[in-house]
Amino acid sequence: MNDPPPIGGAPEMSRKSYETVRRGLAKRRAAERRFRCYGLSAILLGLTSLALLFASIVSNGYTAFRQTFVGLDIYFDAELIDPQGNRSPESLATGDYGGLVKRALSKVFPAVSSRSEKRALYSLVSTAAAIELQRRAVREPSLIGKTVKVWLPADDDVDMYVKGHIRRGAGESARRLNDRQLAWIDELIEQGNIEQRFNKTFFTAGDSREPEQAGIWGAAAGSFFTLVVTLALSFPIGIAAAIYLEEFAPKNRWTDLIEVNINNLAAVPSIVFGLLGLAVFINFFDLPRSSPLVGGLVLTFMTLPTIIIAARAAIKSVPPSIREAALGIGASSMQTVFHHVLPLAMPGMLTGAIIGMARALGESAPLLMIGMVAFIVDIPHSVMDPATVLPVQVYLWADSPERGFVERTSAAIIVLLAFLITMNALAVYLRSRFERRW
Amino acid sequence: MNIIAEPQNEIKKERPKMRYLETDRPATPFAREHIKTVGAITVDSPRITCRNVNVYYGTKQAIDDVSLDIGRNAVIALIGPSGCGKSTFIRCLNRMNDTVIGCRVSGRIGIDEQNIYDPQMDVVLLRAQVGMVFQKPNPFPKSIYDNIAYGPRIHGLAANKLELDEIVETSLRKAGLWDEVKDNLAHPGTGLSGGQQQRLCIARTIAVGPEVILMDEPCSALDPIATARIEQLIDELREQFTIVIVTHSMQQAARVSQRTAYFHLGKLVEVGETAQLFTNPMHQLTEDYITGRFG
Ligand SMILES: Nc1ncnc2c1ncn2[C@@H]1O[C@H](COP(=O)(O)OP(=O)(O)OP(=O)(O)O)[C@@H](O)[C@H]1O
Ligand SMILES: [Mg+2]
Repeated sequence: MNDPPPIGGAPEMSRKSYETVRRGLAKRRAAERRFRCYGLSAILLGLTSLALLFASIVSNGYTAFRQTFVGLDIYFDAELIDPQGNRSPESLATGDYGGLVKRALSKVFPAVSSRSEKRALYSLVSTAAAIELQRRAVREPSLIGKTVKVWLPADDDVDMYVKGHIRRGAGESARRLNDRQLAWIDELIEQGNIEQRFNKTFFTAGDSREPEQAGIWGAAAGSFFTLVVTLALSFPIGIAAAIYLEEFAPKNRWTDLIEVNINNLAAVPSIVFGLLGLAVFINFFDLPRSSPLVGGLVLTFMTLPTIIIAARAAIKSVPPSIREAALGIGASSMQTVFHHVLPLAMPGMLTGAIIGMARALGESAPLLMIGMVAFIVDIPHSVMDPATVLPVQVYLWADSPERGFVERTSAAIIVLLAFLITMNALAVYLRSRFERRW
Repeated sequence: MNIIAEPQNEIKKERPKMRYLETDRPATPFAREHIKTVGAITVDSPRITCRNVNVYYGTKQAIDDVSLDIGRNAVIALIGPSGCGKSTFIRCLNRMNDTVIGCRVSGRIGIDEQNIYDPQMDVVLLRAQVGMVFQKPNPFPKSIYDNIAYGPRIHGLAANKLELDEIVETSLRKAGLWDEVKDNLAHPGTGLSGGQQQRLCIARTIAVGPEVILMDEPCSALDPIATARIEQLIDELREQFTIVIVTHSMQQAARVSQRTAYFHLGKLVEVGETAQLFTNPMHQLTEDYITGRFG
């Protein structure tokens, strides 16, 4: 190697130590190389598992973003859908829209006559089709009396078949569609009347027992309201507590005790906070069960210790010289904290808050305790409405037997991750806004 | 450096008083309990009077029964070996020690007859009167302008932007920094060189309009040229301010101060006119220190 030669005329002693150092050098370099390899492989391992995770979730879930539709020539028969005959929304609301779908299907397959066969045929189209037709008729009353081609959501079994999750090969009893139904679907496909389109329902609807009618929006809104409550409570409370403990509290046995307790609380299993919330907020304060308000309060309990600990660390890391400088020209302790310490500690505090929020977003156990696991179809509009949250929705769907919920579970996880990435991106942006260079 | 000149004869006669003869030397020579302050601790019309000041960190006593007057419009230098309590003492004068947990101060420190450790005394008011420059330059991570303007702003010293601009300019001028930074007042104060930062900190202190400026080793992080500028600055500031400076450089003490106080193990050993103290120390410990025999 190109080690520099020993300095000429060095005394015996330094010559000797030079030799010793040189001999040891190879070993030291090898150790360093080895350590780098360990580090690199650790990172590679982490990245690989992350990539695998994403790949499996996305490959399972992306099909849920498309949904099978059946194109039918619907005759908007005034007799069926406008019993009062005045085209008023009230009258249109009482119409039999399912009848329109049935007629249209019978027209496509006139040979079907027996009762049970008809039922099998009609079940190819989702029950949501009737609701959609009604909405359409109310919006455009001019359609009444005309025949229009309408794309209606197919039943989830059809959807699964079109997406290739139901195989013909197995016996009839092993699948949810019988041979006749498969034949009809194939015919519809041949006619070009079956199409996969963007699944708007998934992003706009609440939960449902029918996979093709189930959406993530209710859970997303629930998560949003819950997190708003959590953030609005835990960030100010956590930062106020951290500032008080770091800057104003006397250092004595009581504050030591508080500090130990905060550290312990950070390690308490989250389900315990759920039990606490159940006992305090629901049973004692009588707040509405399953509401984002109670969920947010419980998650506030859970995230507060994290936020306090992070905020205290951030405050501690502000160099004392800045504090002395401010105090030295006569700033009060309040002014020192708010003008100098807080701005410098803000990035660290935000990081702590985001870590706490991310944990709260992914939390399901404590929310099960306060009833946020209920089956809720309506989309919550305030923090008092019953709601569920994204991770609980994932849990509920993962638990459902229908094949259609498998892809929806993965899709819900994708939405959850997107939520998380957005939050983290926001945190990074805020950090860079607040960060000051020295 | 030839400040340690041959002692003059009359004073030489006095000196043996403070020396211990081999025969009656105590078991622990110059242990804390045997040290008594020599020299004139009082001055005419003092700005600050300290009487029997003791400072404890927990149970450890860092300052032991120090009494000292600090004169108006003069520079007093505090010297002494590391750990002797110079910083502790200077930080008592604007109650910066209040921020240290477990630190206790007893005795009386008065500024113009007002006891600063009186419970009625407001530290904000005190620190506006007694400014401090620290060993390591510590500008705020803000613009040069905001560094200077911060003090006047929080104290409400300027009625409008114009007045504030003027305070900033005069403070920077007094600190000898104006010409270097006048074109980039919006640049961060932390982007200046070490010497410039220290002058910025001095300007920041001046901007509040204090009567006393405390400086704790203000030049220890600076090169000789920056040091010379600050020393010159101290000399100019003396006309308006009372200055207390802690320094490890005896040359610096000799150059900038009129009086010098020598601390040892938390005791004030000797205080006197700078010229006299360096040429003719009365106490054996002082002589040992300034001749470099220990410390
Ligand atoms: N915050 C503190 N807590 C406990 N002891 C302290 C503290 N600050 C200083 N001391 C002790 O008080 C004594 C005096 O310290 P001080 O900082 O005043 O010395 P100094 O003369 O300024 O020294 P230097 O020249 O090295 O700055 C030292 O023995 C030191 O260990
Ligand atoms: Mg010191």
